[in-house]
Amino acid sequence: MNGDDREIRLDRMRYIKNTSSANLTYLGILFDVFFFVNIYRSDVDTYYYNILIGISIVYNLVFLLAAFLASEGAKNYKSGYTWLLGGLGIGQIIRIFIIPMRAHSAMTLVNGVETLVMQNGQFFRVIAYLVISGACLLVAAAINYRKCHELSGHLKSLGLQGA
Amino acid sequence: MATISIQHMDKIYDNNVQAVFDFNLDVKDGELIVLVGPSGCGKSTTLRMVAGLEDISAGKLLLDGKDITQTPAKDRDMAMVFQSYALYGHMTIYENMAFSLTLRKENPNVIHKKVLAAAEVLGLTSQLNKKPAQLSGGQRQRVAMGRSIVRNPKVFLFDEPLSNLDAKLRGATRREILLLHKRLQATMLYVTHDQTEALTLADRIVCMSMGHVQQVGTPLELYDAPANVFVASFIGLPPMNFYDVRVNGDTLTGKGFQVGLTPQEKATLRAYAGKEIILGVRPENIVLGPDVKVTVNTNENLGMNTLVHGYVAGTKERMTAKLKGWSSNKAGDTVSFSFKRKHFFDKETTNAIKEVE
Repeated sequence: MNGDDREIRLDRMRYIKNTSSANLTYLGILFDVFFFVNIYRSDVDTYYYNILIGISIVYNLVFLLAAFLASEGAKNYKSGYTWLLGGLGIGQIIRIFIIPMRAHSAMTLVNGVETLVMQNGQFFRVIAYLVISGACLLVAAAINYRKCHELSGHLKSLGLQGA
Repeated sequence: MATISIQHMDKIYDNNVQAVFDFNLDVKDGELIVLVGPSGCGKSTTLRMVAGLEDISAGKLLLDGKDITQTPAKDRDMAMVFQSYALYGHMTIYENMAFSLTLRKENPNVIHKKVLAAAEVLGLTSQLNKKPAQLSGGQRQRVAMGRSIVRNPKVFLFDEPLSNLDAKLRGATRREILLLHKRLQATMLYVTHDQTEALTLADRIVCMSMGHVQQVGTPLELYDAPANVFVASFIGLPPMNFYDVRVNGDTLTGKGFQVGLTPQEKATLRAYAGKEIILGVRPENIVLGPDVKVTVNTNENLGMNTLVHGYVAGTKERMTAKLKGWSSNKAGDTVSFSFKRKHFFDKETTNAIKEVE
């Protein structure tokens, strides 16, 4: 890409929304939903019936809201949302170590027989969902950071207010 | 840019209703042609046939000499601007203008350059991030034009683009279209029912009625030498006054009045001596004088001019005169007028009686 093309690409950002970040965030939300509807399928002998389930549900609602907000912010090149997206992405990775890891290693008695709460198949599936969701959000954050930085510099070079 | 040749074009719908009859027109490169006529006269149908949105029932359509009669609309390289703007409400102005090029998978950088150039021409640069709902009607229409400009088509087609605008905005947008035409030097076909638009915009006007072309000519030709009663009545505001008169030697005798003929007029009407013809007089060609007594009905003072509406004294023949300055006639007053310039039409054919060389 020569200098002129780069200049036009930057100038296009004044009128074109940051759809790549926004779409990656939507994808992150989608995989979070996949994770959430899968995680409690393995409930055996009411294993999940403790405080974790409440926190998990509340966090998930907050996550959905914040991620949607961040997608709109990123779409409009709001640099502050980079950190929110990054935080949500890291949060998805951390979630792996809360319910899935614990459920995968836990055993419970069902009719007097010790049973694994979460089987391997489900464990790897929900882990994949969280990893994909987190990765999408982190990449969206990185793209948003780069684009906001570029656009801000471009607007300054044009003598316009920064993004 | 391009030339268009429309040859013997007809439009017959499936229910056998014929909307356009034997339409012929050669449009020169860079010419702005205005199709004008009352609602239902077939002007929009003609435009839609040129655009490829309607099938051509008979005849040929040539673009730069190439027959495109059967060519689909998308391959005709023509851009159409509609009365209703047809903008996408969820897209920004930039996205609306870029949309057609995006569909064609053009290079985004090329699209960007074209959109910015068109926005600059139309004064829309500061509006590019807005949605159509945030713009005024005139601005929306400019966006619709911009969407056409970015495509760089061979021909621009306008279907009553100003009809949705208020009078003030219509005037301003009309001037913008005129400037745009001068700047782009593009071939344009423009449909309107508004004769003011036709007279101010057109290089040539095609006046239509009931599917038939009545006259093709420059605005001045249509105003000054209308081909028939229809054109004479349609072009000019207020419309021309018409009277049945008899040619009696040096005079014309109508109901309640008699006016003299100049030697030139007499020569023109030589073949009509003793016969009835239609006399047409434009309101602006009526001046205070001794020939026709008129009983004033209403008086419209417009500032620079006054429109005097009344009846030829003792008859039911209406007359509208456009007098210079402010006039204080009252209803019931009798005013006397003379005709500065007359138009003559054959009573049977309603065609203009041409001057004999």
